[in-house]
Amino acid sequence: MRSPFAYTSRPGPLQAASPGAAVTYLGSLVVVSFLYSNPLVLGTAGAAAILAGLLAGAGRAVRAALWMGLTLALLIVAVNALVVDRGETVLARLGEWPLLGQVAVTAEAVAAGAVLGLRAAVVLVVFAVYSACVDPDRVLRSLRPLAGRSALTATLVSRLVPLAAADGARLRDAARLRGPAAAPVGRAPLARRLLAGSLDRAVDVAATLELRGYALDTPRAPRARARSRYDRRFYVVGAGILAAGIAGKLSGADAFDFYPAIEIGAGPATLAVALVVLLAGFAPLSSRLATYPRYMRGKSPSSTVARPLERTHA
Amino acid sequence: MPELATSARIIPALSIEELTYSYPHGERGALRDVSLQLGAGELVLLAGRSASGKSTLLRAACGLVPHFHGGHIEGSVQVAGVDALATGPGELAAAVGYLAQDPETQVISTTVAAEVELPLELRGDAPASRARAVEEVALALAIPHLLSRTVDTLSGGELQRVALAAALVTRPQLVLLDEPTSQLDPVAGDELTWLLRRLNEEWGVTILLAEHRLERCLAAADRVIAMDSGAISFDGAPRDFLAWAQDADSALETPAARLFSLAGIDPLPIGVRDARQILASVGWRGAGSPPNGLYFFGRSSHGRPPSPSEKVEFGGDPAPLSHPPTAAKTRDLWIELSTGDEARDVLRGIDLQVERGERVALMGRNGAGKSTLLRAVAGLVEPVRGKIEALNGIALLTQNPGDYLVRERVGDELPGADGMAALRMVGLEHAVDSDPRDLSGGERQRLALAITLAGRMEGGELPGLVALDEPTRGMDRAHKTRLAELVGGLASQGAGVVIATHDVEFAAVFAERVVLLGDGVVIADGPATEILSGGWYFATEVARVLDLPGVITPEQGAAVLLEEERG
Repeated sequence: MRSPFAYTSRPGPLQAASPGAAVTYLGSLVVVSFLYSNPLVLGTAGAAAILAGLLAGAGRAVRAALWMGLTLALLIVAVNALVVDRGETVLARLGEWPLLGQVAVTAEAVAAGAVLGLRAAVVLVVFAVYSACVDPDRVLRSLRPLAGRSALTATLVSRLVPLAAADGARLRDAARLRGPAAAPVGRAPLARRLLAGSLDRAVDVAATLELRGYALDTPRAPRARARSRYDRRFYVVGAGILAAGIAGKLSGADAFDFYPAIEIGAGPATLAVALVVLLAGFAPLSSRLATYPRYMRGKSPSSTVARPLERTHA
Repeated sequence: MPELATSARIIPALSIEELTYSYPHGERGALRDVSLQLGAGELVLLAGRSASGKSTLLRAACGLVPHFHGGHIEGSVQVAGVDALATGPGELAAAVGYLAQDPETQVISTTVAAEVELPLELRGDAPASRARAVEEVALALAIPHLLSRTVDTLSGGELQRVALAAALVTRPQLVLLDEPTSQLDPVAGDELTWLLRRLNEEWGVTILLAEHRLERCLAAADRVIAMDSGAISFDGAPRDFLAWAQDADSALETPAARLFSLAGIDPLPIGVRDARQILASVGWRGAGSPPNGLYFFGRSSHGRPPSPSEKVEFGGDPAPLSHPPTAAKTRDLWIELSTGDEARDVLRGIDLQVERGERVALMGRNGAGKSTLLRAVAGLVEPVRGKIEALNGIALLTQNPGDYLVRERVGDELPGADGMAALRMVGLEHAVDSDPRDLSGGERQRLALAITLAGRMEGGELPGLVALDEPTRGMDRAHKTRLAELVGGLASQGAGVVIATHDVEFAAVFAERVVLLGDGVVIADGPATEILSGGWYFATEVARVLDLPGVITPEQGAAVLLEEERG
C-alpha cells in the first residue's frame, strides 16, 4: 500500500508548477505559521493548507496529516498543561506528581499548548501537501548542480526508503507465517535482516546508478527550465502571503497573550492578514475547471481538465 | 564517411577473448576462458543452468565486473571497440544497456519520465534531444501513457518496460538482459520477447538475452550460447543447439523439441510455428484431430511413460487422513486493497474448494489476484465480504524465501523435535548446522518451507493446505523438477498443495487441477490437461503445437504422434 504522502502525478496547477514556485507558495504558509501565535491567523493558515491540498487532489495526504497533526497537538496540549503552571484560571488541581511536583492545569497553559499544537499541525499539513504534490525528481534535478553529492544521497534515500518499507512489510508477513515450532522472530533479528536486505538493495541501486552514468565526470547537461503557466501565480501568492504576514506582524496583527490571562487580538489588521492567508488557499484552483460549464464537471480528469502545459526552454 | 561506415560494420558489438574471472573470496572461477564475438544486429540467447555463469558474463559485458564487483580478471572485453576492463560502466553506458532480473532495484527516480531521461541528462545531452529521445523510446516500448506515472504505481511488467526504456534511451549498440521475463506472466513475457525482436530488427540493436524459459524466446533468436560451470559449452544456431542439448543436457531442451525427440521426428523445432510446419511436412493430419479418440483429460493422464530425466515422482498413494477431506474453501470472497488514492476490489466473489491431497496450480496474469487469494487464506489480508475456512491449518511460502531466514544457523531457525521433523519433511536434516546463506537457492526455498511447516504437523500429519507463491522464479528446469517432486510428496502425504505460478510448463508437470484467475474472478477451473490445452497464453508449448484437447506434456504429445504413426 502506498504511503498517503507519496508523490502522485496529477493534472493540476500545483503539480505543474516548478519546484521553486511551489516551495515559495507552501513555504510562505509555514513562515506565517511560525511568525504568528494568534490562533485566528494560525487557524486560517491551517485552513489555507487544507484547502490547497484538497484543490490539488491530495485529500488523502491532508487527512493523514490532520490525523497525525491533531494527535501531536493533543499530546503537546497535555504536556504543556502538566508542565507549565502559569496562568490565572485554574481548571484542575492534580496534586503532587513525581518529578513535576504540584500540578495545576490552567486554561492559559492549555491555550498556549493548543497554539503550539496548532502550529505543528499546520506545518505537518503543509509538508504533506508538498510531499504529495511536488515532484521530487524535479526538486532533486534543480539541486543537482548546486550540491551533487547531497542530491545523490537524497536520490538514494528517496528510492531506498520506500523499498525498505516494502521489505519490512514482507518480513513482518513472513514472521507471521512461521510455523509455531519455528524459532520466533523478535524485533532485533527482524531489524538485522531488514538492515542486511537494505544494504543489498543499496548495492543494487548503486550498480544501476553506475550503469546510468552517475559517476561520470562529464559536464552536466543544461537544465530544461520546465516552467508552467502557473508559476507566476504561486510566486505572486507566496510573496503576497509573506508581505501581508510581515506587514501584519509589524503592525500588531499578532496580538495574543497567554499569560497571565488569555487575550486574543482580533482587530482589523489581524482580520486582514487572516483573510489574505485564507484566500491564498485557493491558489491551486484550476482556472480551466473554474470556467468549465457545469455539465462537464465531475468527469474524469483526463477528459475534462486539460493537463497543464509545460514549456521547455533550453 | 564510407570508411566510417565500413569500420562500424566490422567492429563487433561485443568481443570477449579468453576471459577468466572469479569474484572476491570466490572459491572457484565464475568465468573460465570465455571467448565469443557478437556481431552488430544479432539476437543471441544465453542458455545454461542456474549458477552456470550467465549473469556474470552479462556483468562483465557491461563493466560491472570487475569495476563494481571487484575480483580477479584475466582476458579482454571490448564493447563496440571500447575496452571494458579499462573503462568503467558509466563510460560504457552509451554503448551498452543492461537490464537485470529485478526491476525494483533498477529504477532510481520517482516518475517514469525522469527515470527514462536520467541517463541522457547525466551524459550531458541538450534538453531538446533528451525530450525527443524519451518520446521515441516511449513510443518504441509502448509506454507513453506511463511517462507521467510514479514508478511505485507500476505493475512488474510495466516496471520492466520502464527499466528497459532507461537502458535503451541512449540508443546503445548492445543490450544485455538477465532473465527479464522471470517475473512476468506468459502474456507480458511473450510481449517482451517480441518487443526485443522488433527493436533488434528496426533499430539494429545487438541483444544478448539470458533466459531459463527457452521456449519463450528460442524462435526469436539468431544464435544460442550455452554455458556450463563458467565456460561456453555450445555456440551455434538455435536448431543445432536443440540437437546438442538432446545429448548434452536434456534440462535445456524445449518442450516442443522434447516432443519431437520422443516421437523420433527430425529436425527439432525452434518454436511453435516451426514445429507445425515440420509436422505438416511429415504428413501429420493436423491439429484438432487426435487419432482414435485419444484424449488426456482427467486426474492422471499417461501416454508413453516419461523418460527418467522428466519423470516426477509424487510418492505413491495418498496417506490415510484423520481429518475431513477438504483442505480449504472460500465462499463469496471479496478483498479490497488500496492502491494509492483509490481502493480496488482485487478479488470479487471467489468460490473455491481445495481437497486434501490435491495438486492445484493457481494461474493468471500479473495483478489477477493470485497472491492476494493465498494471503487471504493465510490470514494476512482481511476480506471485506465472504468466508474463508482453512480447515486443518495452512502453511504459506511467499515469493521471497529469504524473508523467512533471519538466523545464522539452520538449527537455530528450527529448534527441537518439531523443527527437526520439519527439516526431515523437506530433506534438509543434514544441513542443521549450516548457515542458511551457504545453502543453494533451492535448499533455501526448502528451508523456508520447513519453517512454515514447523509445528503444524500434528502426529506427523501435514497441515491441510500447503501454498507456495511463485516458487519457480529464476529456477532452471532441473530445480523445478525437484520442487515438483517435493510438493508432490507433500500432496501424497495428505496436504492440499496450491501453487501460484506463471510457469505453464511447471504447472503441466506439477498440477492435476488448474484454477485460472482473471481480474479477481475465477475464469476457468478444471483438470490441468483441459485448462492448459484450451488457450494460447495459458497453454503449454506442446498444446500450442498440437492443439489437441488434453495434450499438454511432451510425453502425451509423443504418444499421440506415435499412435498416429502406427495407425
